[in-house]
Amino acid sequence: MAEYVGVDLGTTLSGLAYLKPDGNAEIVPNADGERLTPSVVYFDAHEDVKLVGSAARDGGDPDRTIYQIKRHMDDPEYFVEMDGKKWTPAEISALILAKLKRECSRIIGEINDVVITVPANFNELARKNTVAAADMAGLKVRRLVNEPTAAAVYYAHTQAVKGRILVFDLGGGTLDVTILEVDNDSFKILTSEGARHLGGANFDEQLLDIYSAQYKAQINAELCTDERQRRRVLHAAEDAKKMLSKLQRVNDTIGNDSNGIARIDLTREQFEKTVSKLLTRAIMLVEQALAGIKLTTKDIEHVVLVGGSTRIPKVKTALEKHFGKPPKSCGNVDEAVALGAALFAKRSGRVREVCNASYGTLAMLLNAQTGEEAVQNSVVIPKNTAIPCSKTQIYVTSEANEKVIEVDITQGEDTDPRYVDIIGRISLEVPPNRPAGCEIAVTYSYDENQRVRALVVDKQSGRSQEVAVSYKGKGILTEEELKKRGTALRQLRIE
Amino acid sequence: MFKKFIQSFSKTRPDAEPVAPSPAKPVTPPAAPANKGKAEVKGKGKEPEPKAVTKAEPPAPAKTAEELCEIKTGMSKEEIKARLAFLYRRYNSATSSLDAKLRKEAEIMLDAVVVIREKTFGPI
Repeated sequence: MAEYVGVDLGTTLSGLAYLKPDGNAEIVPNADGERLTPSVVYFDAHEDVKLVGSAARDGGDPDRTIYQIKRHMDDPEYFVEMDGKKWTPAEISALILAKLKRECSRIIGEINDVVITVPANFNELARKNTVAAADMAGLKVRRLVNEPTAAAVYYAHTQAVKGRILVFDLGGGTLDVTILEVDNDSFKILTSEGARHLGGANFDEQLLDIYSAQYKAQINAELCTDERQRRRVLHAAEDAKKMLSKLQRVNDTIGNDSNGIARIDLTREQFEKTVSKLLTRAIMLVEQALAGIKLTTKDIEHVVLVGGSTRIPKVKTALEKHFGKPPKSCGNVDEAVALGAALFAKRSGRVREVCNASYGTLAMLLNAQTGEEAVQNSVVIPKNTAIPCSKTQIYVTSEANEKVIEVDITQGEDTDPRYVDIIGRISLEVPPNRPAGCEIAVTYSYDENQRVRALVVDKQSGRSQEVAVSYKGKGILTEEELKKRGTALRQLRIE
Repeated sequence: MFKKFIQSFSKTRPDAEPVAPSPAKPVTPPAAPANKGKAEVKGKGKEPEPKAVTKAEPPAPAKTAEELCEIKTGMSKEEIKARLAFLYRRYNSATSSLDAKLRKEAEIMLDAVVVIREKTFGPI
């Protein structure tokens, strides 16, 4: 049995690694002989089989093919309808995990407990969906760990670095930036920031626009006439992007069945100009990460590149310009996250993490000088607080004779309530006939497993209510449903 | 200076009528470009039922990036930088919101932030 296993459940590629007896991590190939499995699922129309990986990506009907499901893990309303059945993002992800579990366990033995990586800015729903996906696939999640944290663990393990590191993880679907301090095999995470929908797939979409424009200019017709064609062009665009990381100019031919073929001429300069806005967003995320912990670029000793999209030369030059020194590759940009997750599985005790988000409550804030009142998000545990931690804020009731105190649990650091999510609520019955101004203590605790608990105490009566903060809203399967779907999923033929 | 009150939902629904210090400006989502609006996977879609709570405001006429970001003539580069950093933080976080409308608004605002950034400070 493999004791320490890490899984990178990526937007475009997924991988599983385990810790060998010599203390080094190794990627476990799937049954197709690939070290990384494309995160693509195909529902065959003729046979009762779910294809996962390259076979799903390369040959199937796009109407029955699911790409980049990870991008929907945080969407409470998203589902996939196939042959009359609705599949949640967690279920689709579970198919990918099930393939990894089944096929990799043939090589390294039974796989039960795993560390799974998630983007730094994955919200509560996305994290719960990731755990649910693992559950349905028959895996127990030992820990969720942020992708750049895992990559940093791998980098520090292989490069033996020391000091303050910024990990720039530009993957297929997201960008994560983590700043941490490394001292031998101890890691202290200072902050993690993430940008949703900023990854290789977005670069491909921009290139698709160039393909379409050039095609139209030559043929005077639309290039992408249906989803199948759009997928073909995206595939070609991805290949061209990779070539442009090595060459200054690339020529390609592209066409569709009805309008003929056109010659596409791309230059690296043209590509860089097209994606400049995405890169500006990326640099702004770096600035946000630094500002969030009051550091400047001079405070960073190493900038480390992770993720396939960091092969783009402009990414490197933009970071070099920003930091005044060249970034360093982690050595294995595609597999670092999975390998780091396996290392993390054993060394999690040596990694000091921080809260991924702020947690608070809605409160009426009164300005005593002006008399102005406003409902605001009052943060109890600020983002980047070292965990485990416990923080308390004292509030007072605003009205006389309140019988029930209802405390909304918020996730997000913005003071404006419209920009935070309400992920739970505690109701506490209090004695009647009391005046306004009774003190209520709200305490949040955040443990190493990123579990949050909330305790509300009415100080006068001593009554209290404690709950595990857990998003239970739309997009979450009930325990019963999870069990039922997990049982059904484990009986499917997944290849 | 500030006194905090517990905002009990039995008295007020703050997400219905929030009293915020700096209300966000409504933005108009652009029309989905050809070939792009389609979900990455077909035969799939959103639940048809309406959302229970919507936090974003109704659409307004299209605005320039400056208007969206509230960048005024005469603002110094430092002021613009600070404003953009604030908006970037707010809306980058909002891209992961549970509220679909807010997520959409966030993408538009981030595009506007980048336009102003490149216009003011040049491309990276």
